[in-house]
Amino acid sequence: MMTTEFLVELEGIVGADGLVRDEGELITYESDGLVSHRSRPGAAVLPKTAEQVQAVVRLCHRTGIPFVARGQGTGLSGGALPHPDGVLIVMTRMTRVLDVDIPNQRITVEPGVVNLEVTRRVASDGYYYAPDPSSQVVCSIGGNVAENSGGAHCLKYGFTVHHVLGLEVVLPDGEMVHLGGEALDAPGLDLLGVVVGSEGTLGVVTKVTLRLLRRPESVRTLLAAFDSTDAAGNAVSDVIAAGIIPAAIEMMDRTTIRAAEAAVQPGFPDAEAVLIVELDGSQNEVETLFEQIEAVCAKNHGWGVQVARDDAQRGRIWMGRKAAFAAMGRVSPNYYVQDGVIPRGTLPEVLRRIRGLEQRSGLTIGNVFHAGDGNLHPLVCYDDAVEGQAELAEQAASEILTYCLDVGGSLTGEHGIGADKVCHMPKMFSEDDLATMQLVRAAFDPLGLCNPDKLLPTPRLCGEVPGPYRAHPIEVAGLAQRV
Amino acid sequence: MVTPALPHENLAAEVNARIGAPAARPGRDADRIDGVIPVVVVEPLTPEAVAIVLGWASETGRTVLTRGGGTKLARIPAPVSTVDVLLSTRGLNTVEVHRHGDLTATVQAGATLRETNAVLAEHRQWLALDPPRGDRATIGGILATNDSGPRRQGHGTPRDLIIGMTLARADGVVARSGGIVVKNVAGYDLARLMTGSFGCLGVILNATFKLAPLAGASRTVSVTFPDIDRCVAYADDLRVHAATPSALELAMPAVSMLVRFESVESVAEQQAYRAVALAEAKDGTAVVLSAENETVAWQAHGARVLEGEGTLVKLSVVSAQLLPTLIWLDAEARSRRLEYEVIGRAGLGVLCLRLNGATSDQAELLNALRGRLPVGSGSAVLQEAHADLKALVDVWGPIGDGLRMMQEVKRQFDPTATLNPGRGPGGL
Ligand SMILES: Cc1cc2nc3c(=O)[nH]c(=O)nc-3n(C[C@H](O)[C@H](O)[C@H](O)COP(=O)(O)OP(=O)(O)OC[C@H]3O[C@@H](n4cnc5c(N)ncnc54)[C@H](O)[C@@H]3O)c2cc1C
Repeated sequence: MMTTEFLVELEGIVGADGLVRDEGELITYESDGLVSHRSRPGAAVLPKTAEQVQAVVRLCHRTGIPFVARGQGTGLSGGALPHPDGVLIVMTRMTRVLDVDIPNQRITVEPGVVNLEVTRRVASDGYYYAPDPSSQVVCSIGGNVAENSGGAHCLKYGFTVHHVLGLEVVLPDGEMVHLGGEALDAPGLDLLGVVVGSEGTLGVVTKVTLRLLRRPESVRTLLAAFDSTDAAGNAVSDVIAAGIIPAAIEMMDRTTIRAAEAAVQPGFPDAEAVLIVELDGSQNEVETLFEQIEAVCAKNHGWGVQVARDDAQRGRIWMGRKAAFAAMGRVSPNYYVQDGVIPRGTLPEVLRRIRGLEQRSGLTIGNVFHAGDGNLHPLVCYDDAVEGQAELAEQAASEILTYCLDVGGSLTGEHGIGADKVCHMPKMFSEDDLATMQLVRAAFDPLGLCNPDKLLPTPRLCGEVPGPYRAHPIEVAGLAQRV
Repeated sequence: MVTPALPHENLAAEVNARIGAPAARPGRDADRIDGVIPVVVVEPLTPEAVAIVLGWASETGRTVLTRGGGTKLARIPAPVSTVDVLLSTRGLNTVEVHRHGDLTATVQAGATLRETNAVLAEHRQWLALDPPRGDRATIGGILATNDSGPRRQGHGTPRDLIIGMTLARADGVVARSGGIVVKNVAGYDLARLMTGSFGCLGVILNATFKLAPLAGASRTVSVTFPDIDRCVAYADDLRVHAATPSALELAMPAVSMLVRFESVESVAEQQAYRAVALAEAKDGTAVVLSAENETVAWQAHGARVLEGEGTLVKLSVVSAQLLPTLIWLDAEARSRRLEYEVIGRAGLGVLCLRLNGATSDQAELLNALRGRLPVGSGSAVLQEAHADLKALVDVWGPIGDGLRMMQEVKRQFDPTATLNPGRGPGGL
């Protein structure tokens, strides 16, 4: 428990304006984007510098108080859910861009800088930062690093982990380390690759060096409608089979198309499914491959084709796609976003099961997904005001995860395990897998103070009952994986 | 912990008894690593057998060194004193699954890159890596060293392509991380942790990768320049013109550059001719190569540093330091009468340096080079070197303040110091 002495020391570090204790103000920090999980922190601090972060973590370490970092609180897995007896370290005041280094195609920022701000800072030089989560106008780079966030363009350009070159991290004991750097291939273990995607459980990131990409010479975006999600799925498979890796391939189903129309009027056709395909590269390459994409859409009976001819038209198509989550709010009082991943080829099978679930549960389930890499975002709609519907929605969402695992997929493609899916982990990983992951945590955080109760299940959190995961003996031996 | 040494024959017999198969034999002269003959050489045919060997070794306090194709063991040149068990992964050599519709494949660690890509080519796909000696280098060895080649410019490193892994820990426990889907953030990324860990945390059993389609056509622009300044400026020009080569390689002291474009035929061709025009504007003499000529040019390029005597150094700098570093290197080598060859990724600042000459001069040059590269802004790591040079120059160079945590991770994964002790990065 936090003593008065502890709080005085905390205030000494961050100043009176950097410490939040007022119950009313703390409500702001009760949850992240997953509002079904709530918990009020013992105290919240808003440090302005890495040194303040370090001092706070040192104090917590010395006194055995748990701490949780929080960026912009847009996470969708309860990763930034506060610990009721702990300190919430809110990074929103650390928003300085420290170094824009165009000759080396690097930028160094504090973790509170918002994703889109990075591109804004370098756009006039002809560069951009590739990972583009739909939440990019609000989410922080620190949150992106912690979640290894993705976005529509990750199909071609990879995830946050492919774009972070260097990190300054305050470890759970308060020591500050520098991983990676400006140059590639720093000698040593790739701890940077482990910290990225570790959901704030291995330390607090205080500085990030990112790789910038040159804007492609040419970008072309196409939208096509299909009479079924299967037909759209086949078109995706045909694109890949043709040896083309587009910058993005996104799919929306009827429910999410209608929601997007209601919210932002992107002018999408009223269809069972739409595909958004974007190509980028040299002008000649884009033109040549674009013809192939059009042919694939035609072959799969695509219709209502729209081709964005300029930035404004492209912006409109992407606005429709990126608004999809928020737009669900127009058609349903509440919704639960799922983030399972499946091997691309199993899309028709999994969507059929989801439709069956929709009928059985009576809940509307919209689907919007990164079709190129099989990352589904089923949106389970419910009404909190209706007794029992929230639980029903959560059950339905859990069931969808089992469909994903049944075909060899993953619990999460980009939103993270967090507090939300921690007890599902034994369905995807064996006890030995999880115990091995625990070794990483034991190295970084032997006292278990840094964002505890997230990511890895414990008997206390999830009960002693072993999960339904049963590895086949040959799988245990590494001979095969569930395909 | 250490049980009294048994005669070598008996130790091999003991391993075989544990595994229940004749996988082990006493080490021979040809098995030497840095001059040391391993006591036993084991080549298990199943992942279970690997786990059993490791469990036995860690229980009985024996050290294990893992070998794939053996192409890099000499290239991890931290000296060893004794090697109890040399564990070869070559018995685990199949491409387990090629999910061509998903552009992924799961491959056992002991398969060579060439064997792997031969299978994947049936569906016009490949594991997009081209490290040196891909004919012999195994998937496990390439991952353990995170090795790559010229086409890293377009395709990345093993670290960028890996999506899942099964590994055997030092205590014989088998664990899996990631999976078979290209996008996946569930759990800690043990596959990335293992990648580049030089076998000091566990033994890789299999790995799942994101693949690339084989391009329809390839063209390489071969350019010679009067000086390195114009060569490096040319690389910048290509970037500013948003060219997307799959490889962008410079070479020195005879200054030249190879620029590769892979796409459909008309596109590769058009990009190549645009690159020629840009080269000529920088006083370069350029030709476009294809087919056999192209293959030969790339082989000759790699051979400039990879085949030969002397010291091999992997050098990494930020782009803006590329030219100053090369100019400094040339002057320094000349003044010390050291012969050198450099090739490398001009777009990424990652270079391979071959050095020949007096050991003390090499040592001074390398230490001075490291002096120019503060931790984080560059590095120079020895990949091949004689023992007398290694006595004067640390293999890895400074690791920085992350070293303590790396040591802690090593302690957690391998508390008995069974795996590759002292030979991991930073001496782990
Ligand atoms: C409408 C909407 C759309 C979205 N679209 C996408 C999408 O397309 N792709 C995608 O990947 N995600 C998406 N997300 C999820 C979310 O935006 C990302 O996970 C984002 O990276 C979270 O950033 P944040 O700053 O809000 O982090 P928070 O939610 O505040 O925190 C997320 C995690 O990061 C940790 N953390 C934050 N800062 C630090 C730090 N400095 N050091 C260490 N740990 C830290 C926290 O402890 C927590 O575990 C979406 C969310 C919403 C609401």
